Amino acid sequence: MKGKYHIVVQNNRLRYELDIRRNITIIRGDSATGKTRLIALLEQASLFGDGSGVEVHCERPVRTLGGKDWNLVLPNIHEKIIFLDEESRFVKSQEFAAAIKTSSNYFVIITREDLPNLPYSVDEIYGIHSSGKYRDLRRTYNELYRIYRADAFTDEQKPETVVAEDSHSGYQFFQEICGENEIACISAGGKSNLKTIAGKLGDEPALVVADGAAIGSEMNELYQLMRHKPTVKCYLPESFEWLILKSGLIDGKAIKDILNHPEDFIESREYFSWERYFTELLVEYTQDSYLKYNKSRLNEAYLNDREKQAILSVMKGVNWQMNRPNS
Amino acid sequence: MLKIIFGDVENAVYHPPTYFDNQYEDEWITDPLAVAMIKEIDQSEVVAVHLIQSPVLGPISTKEISGGVKTLILMAFDESGRIFNASACGDNCAKWIVEIGKRKDLTINLHHVMDFSSVPTFEAVMLNTGLAVHSYGEYLEEALKIKER
Repeated sequence: MKGKYHIVVQNNRLRYELDIRRNITIIRGDSATGKTRLIALLEQASLFGDGSGVEVHCERPVRTLGGKDWNLVLPNIHEKIIFLDEESRFVKSQEFAAAIKTSSNYFVIITREDLPNLPYSVDEIYGIHSSGKYRDLRRTYNELYRIYRADAFTDEQKPETVVAEDSHSGYQFFQEICGENEIACISAGGKSNLKTIAGKLGDEPALVVADGAAIGSEMNELYQLMRHKPTVKCYLPESFEWLILKSGLIDGKAIKDILNHPEDFIESREYFSWERYFTELLVEYTQDSYLKYNKSRLNEAYLNDREKQAILSVMKGVNWQMNRPNS
Repeated sequence: MLKIIFGDVENAVYHPPTYFDNQYEDEWITDPLAVAMIKEIDQSEVVAVHLIQSPVLGPISTKEISGGVKTLILMAFDESGRIFNASACGDNCAKWIVEIGKRKDLTINLHHVMDFSSVPTFEAVMLNTGLAVHSYGEYLEEALKIKER
C-alpha cells in the first residue's frame, strides 16, 4: 500500500483525527490520553458497523487486530489500516515482524515497548493530545503529535565527536568531513550500539548521525540519554542516501517530487523501511554518471568540494565549522 | 523499596488493565491514594465505588479509568504476589510508582526504559544486576546496560 490516509473516528463525545503515511506508526505517551478508548471505538465500529454509533471515515478500511489467532487472520487482510492495542504482546515477536514485512497493510501500534524487530521512523512515533481545533462543547477533539521533534536535537555548537550509525558510505563521508575539521569520528556499526557509544563519551559536544527512517526503536533510550547528557545531540535524516538526493546534486523534477511526498511512491510490500527505497533511487539515478553510488564504498566524487558542500548544506542546525582554504 | 526487573519474568501480569477489571476490590477505589491517582492522572473524581466522574466522558464505571491508573492501583493494593508490567503506565505515572515504592516493597516489571526524570528523589534496586541506584542518572546508566526488555 502507498499513500497518506486521513482517519476520523468519532462518537458524540470524542473525535480522533489521525494522518497515517507509513507502513508502521507507533502511538505511545502518557496514560489517560485516550489510546485505549480509540481502540475500543474502532472495535465497536468493526463489530456493529453503523449500528455502533461510531463513525469511522477513511479512504481505506480501518480495523483492529488482536488475540492469539492474529497470525491466521493477518494473511487474509489486504490494503487496510490495522490498529493493534498494547495488550497485543505478539507485536514484539520475530514472527510478527516477518508477517508485516511484505504486508500490503499499514499498521498503527499502541505500545511503549521499543520493538527492535520493526524498522519504524522517528517521525512516526506519536502521542495523543486534546486540541481546541473545534469549538464543540459536547465533544473532545483528539489529534496526534510527534513525540520526537527533529529540531530539538541539534544545536549550533561544533561537535568534538561524531558517532555515525553507518559503517559504509555514510561513515566514510563523515569520517572525511570530521578529519578536515579536527572532529573524532566513530562508527557505531549499527543503530543498537549508538546509545552505548554515546553514553561512554565524556562531556565534549557529540553528534549522533543515524538513519531516522528506521531509528524508532532506539528513540526512547536515545532521547532520555540526550536529555540526561545534554552534550549529546542527534541528527536524524531519513538516511545518508536521502541527504544526497535532497542536496540537489542529482538534478530532476522527479527526485524533488518524490522527496516532497515519498509516501505516494513507496510501496509498503516492497520496502519495510524507507531508507532502502532511497538507496535504490540514488543507485538508479546515478548509475551512468560520475556520482555513481555504491553503498558499501563511497564514490570519491562525493568528497569533491562542491558535492561535499551541497550535502552538508542539507544538514541545517549542524555546525561543522568547515576549514575552508584561503582564497 | 522499589525494585525493577526488565524483561520477561515469572508471575508477571503483562496487561494489568485486564487483570484489574477481573480482580479489583471495591475498597481500593475509595482509598485516598487511589482517589488522588485518579484525580491527577485521569483528571477524574471518585464519586462512589462504582462511579467516576470524567471531564471528557461524563459519569463512567470504575472499569473505564485509564490503564495506567488501573496498573498503579494494582501495584498499591493487590496482595496476590504478582508483578505488574509498568510499561502499561505512561511517564505521568512515574511519581506514583515511586510513591507506592516508599509505602511498601514494590517490584515492577518493565519492557521499556521508563522515564523517571520527573521524580525529584529516585531510589531503586535493579533486580537484573542487583545494583541499587540512588538517582535517575544512575538508573538510566544501569538500565541502558541491561539487555533484557
